[in-house]
Amino acid sequence: MHTRDFPQLASIEVIQQGFETCGYICSSKIATAVYLAFALRKPILVEGPPGVGKTELAKTTAELLQLPLIRLQCYEGLDEAKALYEWKYGKQLLYTQVLKEQLGDLLQGARGLAESVERLHRFGDIFYSEQFLEPRPLLKAMQQERGAILLIDEVDKSDYEFESLLLEILSDYQVSIPEIGTIKASVSPMVFLTSNNTRDISDALKRRCLHLYIPFPSVELEERIVRSRVPDIDNQLRHQLVAFVHSLRELDLKKTPAISETIDWARSLLLLHARDLDEAMVQNTLNVLLKFEEDIAAANAGLRKLLRSPGSA
Amino acid sequence: MQSRLVDFIALLRSHDVRISPAETLDAMEVAATLGYAGRERLRDGLAMTLAKTPAEEAVFEHCFDRFFDRQLADFGSTRREQAQAEPATETIGRELEPAAEGHDAPLLDAARDDAALRELLANPLLQQLQDNDQNALNLALDRAAEQVGLGQMQMFTQKGLFTHRMLEAMGEASLRNVIIALEQQHSPALAPLQRYRDILREQVRDYVEREYLLHAEGHNARFMDDILSHTRLNNLEQRYLQRVQALVHKMARKLAERHARKQRRHRRGRLDMGRTLRAGIASDGVLFQTHWRRLRKHRPQLLAVCDVSGSVAAYAKFLLLFLYSLQDVLPRVRSFAFSSQLGEVSELFDQYPVEKAIELVNWRYGGATDYGNSLQDFARLALDDINSSTTVIILGDARNNHGDPRLDILRSIYQRSRRVIWLNPESRRAWGSGDSEMLRYHSACHFAAECNNLAQLERVVDQLLRLTR
Repeated sequence: MHTRDFPQLASIEVIQQGFETCGYICSSKIATAVYLAFALRKPILVEGPPGVGKTELAKTTAELLQLPLIRLQCYEGLDEAKALYEWKYGKQLLYTQVLKEQLGDLLQGARGLAESVERLHRFGDIFYSEQFLEPRPLLKAMQQERGAILLIDEVDKSDYEFESLLLEILSDYQVSIPEIGTIKASVSPMVFLTSNNTRDISDALKRRCLHLYIPFPSVELEERIVRSRVPDIDNQLRHQLVAFVHSLRELDLKKTPAISETIDWARSLLLLHARDLDEAMVQNTLNVLLKFEEDIAAANAGLRKLLRSPGSA
Repeated sequence: MQSRLVDFIALLRSHDVRISPAETLDAMEVAATLGYAGRERLRDGLAMTLAKTPAEEAVFEHCFDRFFDRQLADFGSTRREQAQAEPATETIGRELEPAAEGHDAPLLDAARDDAALRELLANPLLQQLQDNDQNALNLALDRAAEQVGLGQMQMFTQKGLFTHRMLEAMGEASLRNVIIALEQQHSPALAPLQRYRDILREQVRDYVEREYLLHAEGHNARFMDDILSHTRLNNLEQRYLQRVQALVHKMARKLAERHARKQRRHRRGRLDMGRTLRAGIASDGVLFQTHWRRLRKHRPQLLAVCDVSGSVAAYAKFLLLFLYSLQDVLPRVRSFAFSSQLGEVSELFDQYPVEKAIELVNWRYGGATDYGNSLQDFARLALDDINSSTTVIILGDARNNHGDPRLDILRSIYQRSRRVIWLNPESRRAWGSGDSEMLRYHSACHFAAECNNLAQLERVVDQLLRLTR
């Protein structure tokens, strides 16, 4: 994939604007990462707290470039057969049964075992050819003719073995299948890996990637994000709610509300025709923002203070 | 500029950011792609290839600002020289440039009837200063640095010394002498000359500072870590506790990561084609029964018992610290603490932050030692759980105040468990002396080792984790 094939990627500013038209407001750092990933043909390892738009980044890039998004959700126990390829065992078996008769014809007239085997050899490994190969996401991404966006989601949930498997794919954009050989991508896909940091990713994998850490956004950025996602919301209310979420993030919470929660909350407030952030309204809708009983209790306890501080600011 | 980037990477490495040669190449590619014009952009781009964790990113930002501030100032001076050639361009005034001619006028006047000053003005050093010839000056600085062995500077306390030596090597003495003479005469040439000396001093100070940042600062941190890991744990001062804690945690994580590969779960595994086909032969190739590749589950369990009595009080804190970190990074660790009685502390470790937990353990279980009683308690609490995949670690000095050692209990633990490991903070020579029961206990351990500093602890635990696999 070359930058020149994609005018959407001409420069960092163009990427930022492009993302904006797709409804993804991002910092220039994120746009820089995407630009570099294309220019250097490197995967991006996106880290950050849940809900800051890691997965969304890949989706938006796919939308911007009009490329298929191929997603691989990682989990413990994910292996080659589910991520890379699998042989179609059923089809192989069926074909051997169907072709049994044919075999008789084929071997007719052959003298001795050696000649029969010799004849069989002429047909090569027909049962281990690409027709019997079931491509899984990683292989599928290699086979896309126009290129693809490959999203390897939550790679920290997978096992170490799987990480090692990724190394070949991420550095050379190729897959080795013992029975067939190496399948190389004609157009290398753009790869996003996301991680929530449940465990450390190995250095070997990190080394192959650009490392992008997406933190919680600044107040201005988050306001722009809310405006783009929930355009109908009143300016004053938007300002208030973003400030409130930011002050919530200062608290010691089990699960800090992320951007996705802010957007959900903005939508709920809009649905409820809220004009202003008042105590009762916040209390009733706090469960959209906070997902643990303890967190809600903690926020409720300091609610009045929290509500006052953004107002005075 | 490429060499600057390499210097910068050297700086990062000295600050404990691990950067491989491949990453260096990546960084160069990034710099080439983004160009050097946009500083923010360059910083973001380089951070993506060079810093791999948020912590490293913080170090990166800190170093980037310090390093490239200096670099940009240097570029500023060359750019200004170009600007001078084209007078139309406005120059951003650094102290030296504006009206240099005017400043030097009294100097030239005075030189006419002062032989010493005349001689000084002919000195290449002063000419470089007068012309603001940054390149020549840098060259002179490099030469002086080589002469005084600036690369050997290791401690920040040496900065003053090396600055002084550098100034000497560059020939500041002649400048100084003339200034002293002029001061007595109240000559108008004094002010410009003093200004040159200040500039020179500033340049040298900056140079030494930069050199220190490049080589010594990170080295210092490593040096500290090195010392800390080889100091006997009871001698470590309270104020280093924080650092030790970080070190212990790092170590425990390193160890756990190295040995964590067996924790994976295999649910169904992969189809074992060979076995399945072979089983199918009986039914004419129809695969009625599938066989799956399965790996045996390894669930090593670790029971750690720590003596917190008075005799090992100084060590206990660190042993507990280590235990805490271990429980943090490994699954299936149960921790126990004892002096006269024994109790399980795993829950305390789970619930409280490290300092609080250690304090609570000490408070609850500290006192006089009774190994016999404690082993009995341990057997009551955990003997049923000990099986062939259990490793038992005992941290203690085996000084039992001449009480009954209850070797029989340790024996039964020894027979049931996979490993019994005893870590003793006393040196091997002291084992068995006085009320130490260590030699007797040793007979019921698979492995006993002296362990009184972090390096030993790390070695022992590494061995241990290999054994528990």
